Amino acid sequence: MSITLDGQGLRCADLHRIAHGTPTSLCEDAATQMTENVASMPDGPSILEQKRHWLVGGFADTLSADELCRVFILGHCAGVGEPLARPLVRATMAARVNVLATATTGCRPDAARVLIDMLNQDVVPVVPSQGSVGAAGDLAPLAHIARVACGYAERPDSILDYKPNAKEALALINGVSMTAALGAVATVRARRVLDVAIAAAAMTMEAVGAGAGCIDPRLLAARNHPGGIEVGERLRTWLTGSTQVVHENGADAFSIRAAPAVMGTLVEELCSAETILERELNGSGDNPLLIDGEWLEGGNFHGAPIAQALDSLKVAVTSMASVSERRTFRLTYGQLSKGLPSFLVKGTGLNSGFMLTQYTAASLASECKGLAHPASVDSIPTVQHHEDHVSMGPIAARMLLELLECAADIVGIEVLLAAQALDLRMRGIAFDAEGEQFSVSPVKVAPAIETLHSRVREVIPYWEDDDVLHPCLAAAGKMVRDGSILGESLSW
Amino acid sequence: MNNTLAIDGASLCIRDVVDVARLGREVVLADSARSRMLESYAWVKQATTQDKPVYGVNTGFGSLARVKIDPAHSSLLSLNLIRSHAAGVGPILPVAETRAMMLLRANALAKGVSGCRPVLVETLLRMLNADITPMVPSQGSCGSSGDLAPLAHLGLVLADGDHGRVRYQGREMSAAEGMAAAGIERLQMEAKDGLAITNGAQLTTAIGTLALHDAISLVEAAELAAAMSIEALRGASRAFLASVHALRPYSGAISTAANLRTLLEGSELMDSMPEKLQDAYSLRCTPQVLGACRDAIRYAVEQVSIELNAATDNPLIILDEDGDNKAFSAGMFHGEPVGIPLDVLKIAVAEVANLSERRLYRLTTGSLSQRLPPALASKDRPVLGMMVPQTTAAALVSENKALGWPASMDSIPTCEDQEDHVAMSTTAARRAASVVVNARRVVAIEILGAVRALQFRQSESPGISLGYGTAEGLERAGAVLSGLDRDATPSARIEALTEWIASGGHLDVRSGLERLA
Repeated sequence: MSITLDGQGLRCADLHRIAHGTPTSLCEDAATQMTENVASMPDGPSILEQKRHWLVGGFADTLSADELCRVFILGHCAGVGEPLARPLVRATMAARVNVLATATTGCRPDAARVLIDMLNQDVVPVVPSQGSVGAAGDLAPLAHIARVACGYAERPDSILDYKPNAKEALALINGVSMTAALGAVATVRARRVLDVAIAAAAMTMEAVGAGAGCIDPRLLAARNHPGGIEVGERLRTWLTGSTQVVHENGADAFSIRAAPAVMGTLVEELCSAETILERELNGSGDNPLLIDGEWLEGGNFHGAPIAQALDSLKVAVTSMASVSERRTFRLTYGQLSKGLPSFLVKGTGLNSGFMLTQYTAASLASECKGLAHPASVDSIPTVQHHEDHVSMGPIAARMLLELLECAADIVGIEVLLAAQALDLRMRGIAFDAEGEQFSVSPVKVAPAIETLHSRVREVIPYWEDDDVLHPCLAAAGKMVRDGSILGESLSW
Repeated sequence: MNNTLAIDGASLCIRDVVDVARLGREVVLADSARSRMLESYAWVKQATTQDKPVYGVNTGFGSLARVKIDPAHSSLLSLNLIRSHAAGVGPILPVAETRAMMLLRANALAKGVSGCRPVLVETLLRMLNADITPMVPSQGSCGSSGDLAPLAHLGLVLADGDHGRVRYQGREMSAAEGMAAAGIERLQMEAKDGLAITNGAQLTTAIGTLALHDAISLVEAAELAAAMSIEALRGASRAFLASVHALRPYSGAISTAANLRTLLEGSELMDSMPEKLQDAYSLRCTPQVLGACRDAIRYAVEQVSIELNAATDNPLIILDEDGDNKAFSAGMFHGEPVGIPLDVLKIAVAEVANLSERRLYRLTTGSLSQRLPPALASKDRPVLGMMVPQTTAAALVSENKALGWPASMDSIPTCEDQEDHVAMSTTAARRAASVVVNARRVVAIEILGAVRALQFRQSESPGISLGYGTAEGLERAGAVLSGLDRDATPSARIEALTEWIASGGHLDVRSGLERLA
């Protein structure tokens, strides 16, 4: 189903769908309002015309309006580094369309329609990922898109034949649409990793026979935090019917006992980040704006509001990943896992079992800490004292996406190990200190946990003797990213 | 490359690693190394039949060292180690970094204290010479006890079996197919082979060595860029005098100041504003800042150079020691000695770029540039000035600050608390490589600006003499740019100059510079 862009109702999840190929269109009402907005333009030279001397020096008077736009857009194509992944470019294009659709930027509907054409025909410009400071907007990345949209680079004839006027050339690049788009995609990924992390924690709790007190609704409600209350509720849902997670088991280590507190913080950060990003996605992130027939100059292109939200989200995702790694550590640790064998395999010494998976999780968790460094605390003066404070939001967004890759693999490792631990419980397999196997009474695990376990087993076998672990890790990471551990099949 | 490199575990240098990893230099095992390896191999061979526990030979690994292994299983133990440790994730490493890792592992084993057969090293070298490269995931190593997962992925290719993947002749394929096509026999694992392949921070050191090589070259590019900018800004040369720097005798600063003097010798633009007593810090303090970077890089070079020729295995077989047990368990695999220097390298290289970006800001800011055109906009053609590339440079230096977070400062307990402090050196190395790449682009952008600025000075004062070094820099960088399409975007210009620096096009520009390595 097509998603209509109207400058007011775009959600992060919508943008994620467009990123992965859902068709899109410009709302007709918004197009009408854009035309009316243009008609309200005061007489006299446009803003870009006024600034032409500043932009292109002594040639200003000799250039036609078309040449001026061309010089302006091409001159901003100064991005460097690896190209941004295609879905992220698509999300950026749609986010920019939605800004134009607010009908406050003095742009004709064609400025939006050309991008819609490109999206629906999957004409995706190559956009270098580095080079934006997130104020005055994501200038370089958006210019690499505008270059194709305006026909300054090769593009198929089927795309709307569009030439920008001076204000449109500016409006196509003057806002933090790439940062917002990457952030929006990141919230969808973060939500998915969180959903699986909650399921993984429930699997671990069942496998080690955790105390139920930490997810008691009365206890969590008594501390007011809605995130913790929600995570507790979701853990209880997974564990409905459990005979293993009971109050009598007492108090566990923090990675289990405080799981609702840590993961609940991410729940709240995510809600907050989505709210802020959706304001930005549906806001007039451009300069100047044309409102009530008047040009208003301001700083709506500055990425600070979303940059800081994305940095906060990085911190919350890191905590979630780091607490998952600690549960993985416990699952591999014979003395801490309530009767499970060291590294979750027969302890003959000949097999190292899942020893290394925990190293991998630890290494990734450490990477997260570095990536969580807040980009938005930095600022470097640019453009001749003029743009003397910038947001660095695009760096926050890119590092958040990188961090989520680490987090997805960390959570995948917990799923992998918890499934193995559940197998041992369900089969009643235990080992003595010499590595000799003996039988204990098999455990009947909670129905929802059993479903999770069987989804893992459809893809990854129970582990007895050492073999190459990498394919298991890759499969587990995939189950997190596409949601298949939760019975879904989603784009990442 | 026509001269073959013979490795003996004692004489490998940074240049050798670059030659083998990037330029495909042939490499062989020195005869002296082979005989040492055979002796330590013989000791391990007999140890497998003895009752005394030798770590990893007849015991389990990590916290499982408490478990004794039947000697009959010692080869399966090695094979299991490699398979169970192949737990990497994430994007596949680039070819050059993987090749450097293979070479470093071969050289560590060539020391002859790991108790493994020469054929292990010879197989690695055959793979290097045949240009067959294991596909190794880049993430998942804690750098202690070594880069276990990445090296285990290499081990999958060495060990006979269904596992492992390689890149060979431009294609990805199974190790079995690739090794057969390259005519290289895979190995049956023996006692301790698994440890010998995996135990050491070779990926850390491989990435670090290549990054260091690039950083050294980058400092020279940054000094050339600095000289060109300082000249274009009509700087004061007194700040670079030898007599000044002798009074605060940091060797890095002395080198940088000497290099600036050499590059700027003969310039009529320098000291052409007698009324100006001193310049801004980004010009005047170039020797102090870049000199400090040189000193930091020298420290990293010293540390990495030791690691290049170090035994990193555990246990080590030291035949000269008294007693029956010649196997010595220690912590030689720990990545910290290279992790910290590579974190320091990040700071140094980030500072190279920070200073460069500030000079570029001056070049592009009308009120700071001694009457250069604002934003260095051309007076000949309608093109946008350098204001957007300066923004690009600002984004890159800011990104470096986030990447600069010291990875080696972190540690997370692993392996049932047996390995309760780890190095995280691999992350330090990977981030260092990213910082160098970002910094190289920043310096490229400065050179782009400096070329425009000097060309403007030449058009302003026809016939004016530039420094002998800066003139040559201008000519070489200018040639790169004039080779581009007239309508090339700033992005294309920056990338062309970045490639020029990466390939060493800026080196030996009339530079009296002492080489760092």
